[in-house]
Order: sequence, then C-alpha cells, then structure tokens
Amino acid sequence: MLRLRDDGYRPGREEYTKEDVTDFSLFVRTSSEEIHKWDRNKITEALLRETDISEDAAVIVAKEVEKLVFNLNLEDITAPLIRELTNAKLIEYGLEHIRKQHTRLGVPLYDVRKIILNQNKENANVPHGPEATNLTLAERIKKEFALIEVFSHDVADAHMRGDIHLHDLGMIDRPYCSGQNIEYVKKFGLNLPNAISIAKPAKHPEVLIEQVIKFSAALQGHFAGAIGWDAFNIFLAPYLVGIDDRRMKQLAQILVYEFAQQAVARGGQSIFSDINIYWECPKHFEDVPAIGPGGKFTGNTYADYVEEAQKFALALFDVYYEGDAQGRPFFFPKPNVHLTEKFFKTEGYDDFLYKISEVASEKGNTYYIFDRGDTAKISECCRLAFQLREEDLEDAKEPWKMRYSAMQNVTINLPRIAYEAKGDDTRLFEILRDRIELAAKAHLQKKAFIEKLLNMGKKGPLALLAMDLDGEPYYRLHRATYLIGMLGLNEMVQSHVGEELHESDYAYFFGLKVIAFMKKVADELGEKYNLHMPLEQTPAESTAYRLAMLDMKYYPLQASAVVKGNKKRGEIYYTNSTYLNISAPIGPIERVKKEGVFHPLIEAGAITHIWLGEARPDPESIASFVAKTFKNTQNAQITFSPEFTSCLDCNRTSRGLMERCPYCNSSNVEGITRVTGFFSKISSWNKGKIGELRDRRREGSLGV
Amino acid sequence: MRMIEIKGFIKTSMVDWDGKVTSVIFLPNCNFRCPMCHNYELILNPSKYQSISISDVKRYLEMHSDFIDGVVITGGEPTMHKDLSSLIKQFRDMGFQIKLDTNGSFPNVIRNLVEKELVDYVAMDVKAPLTDGKYKKVAGVDVEISRIRESMDYLMKSGIEYEFRTTVVPTLHTEEDIIEIAREIEGAKKFVLQKFEPKNAMDEKLRKLKPHDASYLKQLAEKCKCFVSKIKVRA
Repeated sequence: MLRLRDDGYRPGREEYTKEDVTDFSLFVRTSSEEIHKWDRNKITEALLRETDISEDAAVIVAKEVEKLVFNLNLEDITAPLIRELTNAKLIEYGLEHIRKQHTRLGVPLYDVRKIILNQNKENANVPHGPEATNLTLAERIKKEFALIEVFSHDVADAHMRGDIHLHDLGMIDRPYCSGQNIEYVKKFGLNLPNAISIAKPAKHPEVLIEQVIKFSAALQGHFAGAIGWDAFNIFLAPYLVGIDDRRMKQLAQILVYEFAQQAVARGGQSIFSDINIYWECPKHFEDVPAIGPGGKFTGNTYADYVEEAQKFALALFDVYYEGDAQGRPFFFPKPNVHLTEKFFKTEGYDDFLYKISEVASEKGNTYYIFDRGDTAKISECCRLAFQLREEDLEDAKEPWKMRYSAMQNVTINLPRIAYEAKGDDTRLFEILRDRIELAAKAHLQKKAFIEKLLNMGKKGPLALLAMDLDGEPYYRLHRATYLIGMLGLNEMVQSHVGEELHESDYAYFFGLKVIAFMKKVADELGEKYNLHMPLEQTPAESTAYRLAMLDMKYYPLQASAVVKGNKKRGEIYYTNSTYLNISAPIGPIERVKKEGVFHPLIEAGAITHIWLGEARPDPESIASFVAKTFKNTQNAQITFSPEFTSCLDCNRTSRGLMERCPYCNSSNVEGITRVTGFFSKISSWNKGKIGELRDRRREGSLGV
Repeated sequence: MRMIEIKGFIKTSMVDWDGKVTSVIFLPNCNFRCPMCHNYELILNPSKYQSISISDVKRYLEMHSDFIDGVVITGGEPTMHKDLSSLIKQFRDMGFQIKLDTNGSFPNVIRNLVEKELVDYVAMDVKAPLTDGKYKKVAGVDVEISRIRESMDYLMKSGIEYEFRTTVVPTLHTEEDIIEIAREIEGAKKFVLQKFEPKNAMDEKLRKLKPHDASYLKQLAEKCKCFVSKIKVRA
C-alpha cells in the first residue's frame, strides 16, 4: 500500500496553481443546487481549505480520485459521493486525521424520509410536523458535529459506548437551562439584540405577561432545556394593585394559555417553562425595592405586595384546576410551589395548601418544593433547584441580576460500572471516579466551546446571551453550573450486591455510599477545575432506554439480570437516577422517606413521584401528607401524578388509562400522564418509557 | 379461637378518610352480594388472598406513625367478625384513630364499638332507599331494613363522626332514588355520592355500563344538599 508522509510543509495557499483539467464529460451535482462540469481542482481546493494536508499530497489524492471516477464510466456524480471517495483514498494512504477533518456530516435519504414521515420519540414534547422534523434533522447534524468537533475522542467514544451520556448534543451550541425572574423584563422592557422592534417597560400586567412569554420564547431558542421564572407571583404583584377578582383570573388564564399553547418555539414544541410560586414573600426579597408599572420603583418593598401576590397565586391554581377546554391538565408551564418554614407561619397557608392539593389530586400539576431551614431554591428545570449561596443573596438586592444556568448535564451509567467491577468494591469506586473525571472533562470542553461563541459578542451566534443591558452579559458564565447526573443506581446496586435498594438495608446503604462518593468526587474535581458541579437526578427520558439497550448489547449477561421492563417487547429501561424500583410494593410514605435521604446529596434537584393512576385522593389528605413530608423527611420535592384518557371523538377526559373512552366507547383516545418531569401524550413516548409505564405501581390498589 | 385474617393491606391511603393519611386493612367475607362490588373476590374467594400477619402490619404502622393518622377497617363486611373489637383495640393501643367501613347490617356491633370508644369515624353504606325491593336489588340479598334503619338512627344520635355514602350506579339507581335516600337520612352530618367504576364490578353486566359524569353527580348533590349538613361527590 502506498503511504504518503505528511512532511508538514505548507505552501502559501495563494501559491497553489491549478492544474489543467482532464477533459472528460462528467457532471457533478453539488449540494448548492447546481450542476458543474467535472473539475479535479475542486477536490484539491477543498482538501487544502479544510484540512492540514500538504499541497503535494492533495494533488496526488485528487488525481487518484479522478482516475477512480473516470474508470466508473458515470454520466453524473454527486459532490457528497466524491467527498466520500476522496475520504476512502485518504484512508488508503493512512491519512486518517486528514480524513476526519474532511468528514461530511449528513443524513441518508432513507433516514430523512423516515424522519419526515414518522414521529420523533426521543422527546415526548416534540409534536410531529415540518418544524419538528427540521429540529430532528438539525439536531442529527449538530450531534455529529459535537462528537467530532467539540469533544475529545475519549469523551465522544465514552458517550457512544454508553459509559456516560452527554445530554442535548443536538443543541451543542446552547447552554442547558436558564432560570431568572421577571425583573429584567420589567426594568428593561423587551429590547433584544437583532430585534426589529423594541418595547419599553410594560405599564399594564397583560403587557408584562406577554413580554415575559415572548422573552421566554427567545430564551428557549438559546437553551436546550427549561426556562424557569423565580418567585413569579411576588414580582408580578406590584402590577396587580387594585385589580378585581375577574381580571385577576383573566390574567392567570393569559399566562397559562399563552405558555401552554406556544407551540411555536423550537421544533413546534411548547416552551419548557416553570413558574415558581410563593405564598409568602421569601425572606431574601422582603426588603427589596419593588419595581412597578413603567419599570419604575414604586417606593415600596416586595413585602408590601403579599396580598396581590397571594390573590394571583389563588387565581392561577383556579386555572390549573379547570384544565384546558376539554378538562385536560395543562402540560406547561409547570407550577412549583415553594414550602418554607415561613410558609407554615403565614396567614392563610392552610387554605392555599388545600387549593394546590386539590389541583394535585384533580390534575396533578402541582410541584411541592421543600425549602427547609434557611435554604432558598430557584427551581427552573424538570427538577433542577439551585441552593442560593452568599453571593446570590447579595444579587437578590437587585433581582434582575439573578440569572442562573446549568451549562450541561452529563449522566453516568451506573449499572455498567457494576458489570465492569465484577463484584470488587474497590474497583467499583475506582471506575466511578474515572467516569466522573471524564464527565468533568466533557464539561470543560463544552464550556470552552460556548465561551468561544459568547466571546463573539453581539455579532456572534449567542447575541441574545451577550446582551448587557445591566452592564454585564445576560449569560453569566462565571455563575454557570455543570451537572453530574446518574442513571440506574438501583440496578447498579442490584448487580453489585444482589439486592435492589428496597430489598435490604445493606443494599440501601450501599446505594447511599455510592451517591455520597459521587458528590465527594464531583466536589473535589469541581475545585480542581474551578467548575461548580452539583449532582442532579437526570430526568432520563430517553437515556434510561438508550443506556439499557447499549448494556444489553455489550454486557448481555449482566444487564439482562437487572434491566427493568419487558425484554420480549424491547420495552426496557433502567430505573431513573436514585429512585427505588418503580414497581416495588412500597407505599408513598416509605418512598418519600427513603428516596428523600438521597436528596440532600443531590443539590441540583431531586424529586419523588407518587403515581396516582386513577385514584383521586382527598385534597386535605394530600395537604396533610405534604406537611408531614416537609416536617418529617429530608425529601426535596414531591409531585402526584394522575393518569388521564382523553377522547378525541366525544372530547371528554376521564381518569385512568383506558383503551376505550368509558363515555362513548370510542377507541380514538389518547393517554396522558407524566413522562419524567412533565405531562405528555403517551403515544409520543419511547419504548423504554412505555415499559416503565406498565410497571409503575399506582397507589391505592388492594393487596400489597 | 381463630383470629380474624387480614386479607389486604394498603400501606398508605389518601382516599379512604377525608383529611387523613391512613393505612387500610381489608377483612374477608360479607353478608351482602352487591352487583357493583369491586372487592368481590374478597367475599367470594377470600382464600385466593394470602393472609397478612398482624405483626407485620403493626410493625409498619409503628415505623410510620409520623405520617399515619389512622387505620381504616374495611372489607368485606368487618362487623361480621366476632373478634373485630380485639383487632381494633390493638391499633387503638398504638395511638391510631380508627375508621370503620360498614354496610350497617349489624347495629349491635357498631353500637358496641362506639360505646367502647374503639372507633372515631364510621362510614356506612346506604345502598338504596329503605324499601325491601329496592334494597334487595342493590345489596343482592334479602336485607332486614329495620337493622339498617337502626344503625342509621344510632349513628345520627351517637355524637360520633360519620358519613353515609351511596355508590350511584346507572341502571340500579334513578335520580329519585338518590334524593329519596337523602330524605331518609335527613339531618345527617355528611352524605357522600360515590362514582361507580364499571371495570371491576362483580356483575359482569355492569362492567359494560357507561359511568355517570362527575357533573351529573354534582347536579345530583345539589338536589340532595337541603337534607344534610354536608354533601360531597367522590369520583
């Protein structure tokens, strides 16, 4: 085999003189919708433009490709094919690194047809339509780009093998999620870079809400995950003085419907939106000067507007209780209610707790977030909650500065570590440390890439995040967090010690040891690399399926012993994060207690789900359960998830998942429940989640 | 003497006692054969269920007494069991509140439990208007109406917390039947209309029925409201 040595000589590109073109009548169909006559020099030019190849080598390769093509006796040929033939030659000559630089990213015809015609099942929030397939196609190419260009070889390989999972690779040029409050919009109006028109600060609540929603849509275009709004009702309150109940309800409806129906964001999806609600004025906002209509300070503090904030909160939950026009729950925005020590001391808390529990029982929307002691959290993502630190409390005095983001989430495949450790404790923790180290490396690489984009400033691709209306860029890179997620602790422990987390104290404590170790290592590495790396419970909507499938392929014996779901149907999954087995016969009390012990270790957000199925608990009983969870456990967040069947023929919504509508017997129905963090239609779920749904243990059935 | 066998145990329930977090204990056997019964296996075929040891139940309750307010005794028909009071006493001694679900056909048992202060709340089914024919249709057996009436009167006078409840089944109940029931319990503290869920009914014919809309039950509740202090729809 002929080997060309790259001697490192680089002629000035301008010195390169084109060779005469061999004259044969072949036409090339290019990707820019043109047909050109064959010109070998195009190959040379591309090689020299895109790679480190020497001119001599480029000329030789181009000649070789020409010879090859000439012998094929074609009438026409496509540019992508020429590129691949060139790549084949590069490999033949041992120029693998040149070949890599010369890679073409793209999608086979067959795949494009499938993508256009079939539903995307990776994310249940994505509907099927032209916008959605645009998203899928773009994501495929950006994903490949990320793995080749942004991440190093070892990190990319670890992702592809399934040792770790890099989330949202298709959105490689965006950070993960964003949490902020509406003060920025109140103070500066809607003044976005590259916008065609600019709006002054709102004078009326309707306008403010609409500006916030448009801003959310703009942000969604720059973040892969959720857009969260902190203390929404507290900050809205100065606009609500003197507003009667009817208009209050109308405002709440505008907020919910506008968010819920904004299927104009990326890929025709709703905005992944969270609104955080407080019954009391959080301590850290009590003395903060309030901004009111026109973006002007009102002369009062937020503590002075508690009454308006409470009225809005009540109206908001009235809207959630009613559901949409067909009585279905709203999928977005997700309402997170913060329960604090002060909450339980604030007048009227029991009535509010009853109201949100009515919604929890009837529609399931309510998220109960427990902020015990002096901690305050801003919850922005599926379950992402940040603990406020000293510097944050300083920022709280000028709340528009409180903008937080997680840059990226990297999930560690825990069961695989158990397979590789083969029962050896020391080995298990060694591998775990290596995997977290690899995740940290991935974070550094993503950070460097985003930093590069941000540094291009207002002319760059992340102009919105570079806007600096308050003197610093909207995206505060130095305050970003880098999430370390975990998947399948239950299966890891099951494989390593022979019992699942709920089956013995030994297994349970071993699980705790693993997570405590993860936190320790993540903290150490965070210090070393100057990255804030909290643990997070990965929502794992598609990861739980993907990693289980990969392990069935690479570790079939070990994986098939612990993987959950139905193997025959291919509906397999690993148990999410640190959850106990989803089908285990343990009641909600044990679940909130036992899962809750993990939560303080998982600072970036943890949750316990209580799957209700068709049961409709008494709201007062839920309220009592919630108050006890606050007082008697360490659990960080809980939610109750009912299931619904929505009939597409008679438009009625019933409780429970059924194949036929109980009212009109139509089989034209769709099931609705929570997939991971949010509600969605079951028809859009991936196989792994369908498997999990079958296993979910609904509370309240006879015989445990 | 053989102890009562516990045939089912729900560790945590938020549906069985309004406002409370409870554990629920299912006892086998029943003197009624209601066609809409959804626990019928427990009556017809109790040996199908493995018995659960009382000590396991007590261990669980002890461990989670920080959440559990009370124990709900249901079935089957709990009041058929001779040693019911000694079973209840064991939970009582642990400090739990007790709710009893009953069809009301053993008024003496109810009276005894209330007088010994062994129960805090009684939920009594009123299957149908208190006439022989109608009651038989819904209870599936001949019922001595006077005993139902006696339980009812006793609860209303006893000072204990209680509710009367009716599962509203299409084809078995007319709207007038439900209003008639409300009239019979006039002055009661609480009346609950329960939505019938067809899919697990004992009588196969009922499984194919269309259930009532929640809105229908709410309208019905409006019509019964004037007879009782509190009315509730449980869907």
